Amino acid sequence: MTGYAVVLASEELERVQAVSMIASVASMSDIPVEVFVTMNALNPFEKKAVENMDFEGGRVAKAMMEAEDVSVPLFTEQLEQAREIGPLKVYACELAMDLMGTELDDYVDVFDDTLGVSGFLNRAKDKQIIFV
Amino acid sequence: MADIEADVTVDARGSACPGPLMDLIGKIKSVDSGTVVELLTGDEGSKNDVPEWVEEAGHELLDTVDEGEYYSIYVKKS
Repeated sequence: MTGYAVVLASEELERVQAVSMIASVASMSDIPVEVFVTMNALNPFEKKAVENMDFEGGRVAKAMMEAEDVSVPLFTEQLEQAREIGPLKVYACELAMDLMGTELDDYVDVFDDTLGVSGFLNRAKDKQIIFV
Repeated sequence: MADIEADVTVDARGSACPGPLMDLIGKIKSVDSGTVVELLTGDEGSKNDVPEWVEEAGHELLDTVDEGEYYSIYVKKS
């Protein structure tokens, strides 16, 4: 096993945060991680969603956003910080973007590139796959 | 036990998991071997999780001191 390939297919903030935490800490610990953001999971990465903190989520997401005494680093900040230090690649799904008519410019600056299924499978070949 | 002298301090108070750990990892990566890094955190989860990372990464956990409002975790880079 030489790292993790994570498929993030949910826009639920709790899942997005959990993926960014695991991916960020793993890569900062020198474990290669590829994150493939697909389907509705692209929504929370849109610039306007992040600007307005407009996320889907449940009890933990609510507690996270309302917390006053502590600040939980948002997934975008975690990924940005981790990408500077460790072997972390984050890709946006071409298919979902085509369907929604979005471009990389519509998203916060955490993506290395867009990617299709074959590209993801190639990068995942030697890795443990985590589907969220 | 005598007080540990830290070479650098990472103040992650007010930041929740995994902020303190990520700040610590970033600092550890940037300093020389043998440097003692002090991490300040009020996060209970981090207090328990940071030592796990330190051990796995092969650094040395010197001590965790309860300062009341927060913890001081001393780590020596291998």
